[in-house]
Amino acid sequence: MLDAIEVTKQFGAKRALDNVSLSVLPGEIYCLLGANGAGKTTLVNLFLNFLQPTSGTLQIGKLDVVRQPLETKRLLAYIPEQVTLYGVLSGLENLAFFSSLAIGEHLPRQRLLELLEAAGLPRQAADDRVATYSKGMRQKVGIAIALAKNAKALLLDEPTSGLDPSAANEFSELLVKASNDGVTVLTTTHDLFHAKQTGTRIGIMKQGRLVEELRSEEVSHADLEALYLKHMKS
Amino acid sequence: MFAIIAAKDLRVLTRDGRLLWAGGLVVMLMLVALAAGWNRQVQLNSERSAGQALDYDAWLHQRHRHPHDAAEQGMHVFKPEPSLAVFDPGIGPFVGSTVWLQAHRQSEVKFRPAQDATGLQRFGELSPAWLLQVLLPLLIIVIGFNSVSDERERGTLRQLISLGATARSLLFGKAAALASCVGILIAPVGLAIAVLIVARLPAGERVDVVYRIAWLAAGYGLYLGFFVFLTLAVSALARSSRAALVLLLGFWVATMLIAPRTASEATNLLYPTPSRLDFDDQLAHDMADAGRKAWSTHFGARTQWDPSVPLSKWGAALKVDDEAGYGALDENFGRLWDTFERQQLAQVWIGLVAPVVALRGYSMGLAGTDFSQHRDFSTAAEAQRRKIQNIVSEDLIEHADRLGNAHFTYKAGPELWASVPQFKYELPSVSFALAHHWASLALLAVMFCLSVALAQYALTRPLMR
Repeated sequence: MLDAIEVTKQFGAKRALDNVSLSVLPGEIYCLLGANGAGKTTLVNLFLNFLQPTSGTLQIGKLDVVRQPLETKRLLAYIPEQVTLYGVLSGLENLAFFSSLAIGEHLPRQRLLELLEAAGLPRQAADDRVATYSKGMRQKVGIAIALAKNAKALLLDEPTSGLDPSAANEFSELLVKASNDGVTVLTTTHDLFHAKQTGTRIGIMKQGRLVEELRSEEVSHADLEALYLKHMKS
Repeated sequence: MFAIIAAKDLRVLTRDGRLLWAGGLVVMLMLVALAAGWNRQVQLNSERSAGQALDYDAWLHQRHRHPHDAAEQGMHVFKPEPSLAVFDPGIGPFVGSTVWLQAHRQSEVKFRPAQDATGLQRFGELSPAWLLQVLLPLLIIVIGFNSVSDERERGTLRQLISLGATARSLLFGKAAALASCVGILIAPVGLAIAVLIVARLPAGERVDVVYRIAWLAAGYGLYLGFFVFLTLAVSALARSSRAALVLLLGFWVATMLIAPRTASEATNLLYPTPSRLDFDDQLAHDMADAGRKAWSTHFGARTQWDPSVPLSKWGAALKVDDEAGYGALDENFGRLWDTFERQQLAQVWIGLVAPVVALRGYSMGLAGTDFSQHRDFSTAAEAQRRKIQNIVSEDLIEHADRLGNAHFTYKAGPELWASVPQFKYELPSVSFALAHHWASLALLAVMFCLSVALAQYALTRPLMR
């Protein structure tokens, strides 16, 4: 579903991605681990066509991201570290706006409330202005947008960063549920525990290269931590 | 998709205090300006029609007297106030509204309201046109400077693009929202005043005024549209919202406060006008010269009013003298007025950097308060003066010159006074105004297209810096 084929991204003299290839299958949750500057976010940005690769190809559902940007975006939902919404609008109004932008039609209020509820936002908070929301609540609106879009693939950039353990856990459960429904997930994270708990596969990036790929059921928490530290120190 | 973005932006803007307060202030000022303009026009019109009727009545009912005495006393004609002067008084306050038609000389229009104005008026008259030209662009800047930059700074732009929003839909969605804000503020007031203006006009004048309003709307639409797209372009190009605001305010100050003054000085240097004293000296010299030549040709006299010319030719001499001066008057006033018009035309091109300069001339033109329409009135007034002189001279030739040395015993009566028709002047039509100001409209259209292109370029650049 998500394919990066020999992708290199150069920013001037700095090589942010160096010949990276990875493939995320439908229904998989692929967790990308790595230190700051390893190239995780650059890869997500390339899939979103916010950046264009220096060389190589990126595909979503076999569609070329660069050549068919609008078609590939239709298959995607993106949840950044900080879900950015309009503070003067309510959660419901934000969802109404972003969902109508994504699917090209206005969803009825009842459906919007259902989506927010499915994302875990308390019903009574739906009409409050987003300026009063916590980070976790904003993340939930972000998930509701993805649900409304009925996206085939989710791109998440450090989604649990800054969330309290309970909210992070709730978020992980939602990802697993989406994955069980056939949604493909590519998420970047620093959180090894979250990666092991949620991911189907885990990739470790270092200095723009994918240095390790493993299935999460093949490795224990301790082994994953040891492996990660080994790569970071080498 | 652009409609969804426009609706969201409009909702965000209406919840933002900036639109409420700044917009409310603009609407209030607009109502004050309209009320003041309306009041001024009602007063002017009533004074004008009363003055015109009284003055002609006095001419008709003057006592029996020598016709040249009557011509020396002359009569006054009053410039009709265009109905759209309520919207844009143009040069009206600076050029006056009454012409004294007297023998021997072409008078300028007098009774200028600007003579009685305070120093504050130099900054700009509080008219609806001034508000639309100067304050509304400021309002667009204040509510729109962060339209794109804020989305980028807060990260919502990434969200929008990730959902497939295109640069074109963002651009036109945001432009539609900004334009709607402006429309919400001015459309109801504008529509109401347009209806009021048109409703009180005689049926024959309505169509012309409706066309004028439509052309004015087109000109202002292009001008305000330029500011909408420029604001979006700068908001997208600037590094931050603060930088966008500083850049846009800088542009506003430069184009609204500095450029018009500079344009006026520059065109004056390019096409200099003589001082009042020089003009009067040159005119007097040319008229005396023309008079001398005419007296020499017709009567063999060495000077004007030479005592060798008998009184039996005094009426004919008066006619010759008047007609000799017409050429000098036409040449001198024509040269001066042509210079004013060349200055105006040159200022239009300054509209390429400061569109307000182009719009100002266009707005005055379509409102009927610009120099070209003032010139048209002055020319018509001068034609009336010459008509009076001609009637009086012909009457003297026919009746007084026959009396020989008793020429000055002749006294004309009501039949002669009644043979002078009342001055009737119709304001030029909209096509006259368009013929004089099409270049300004074309320039506003070019500036609008350039701003759209700049905004499109700004929004299609890599947005994720």
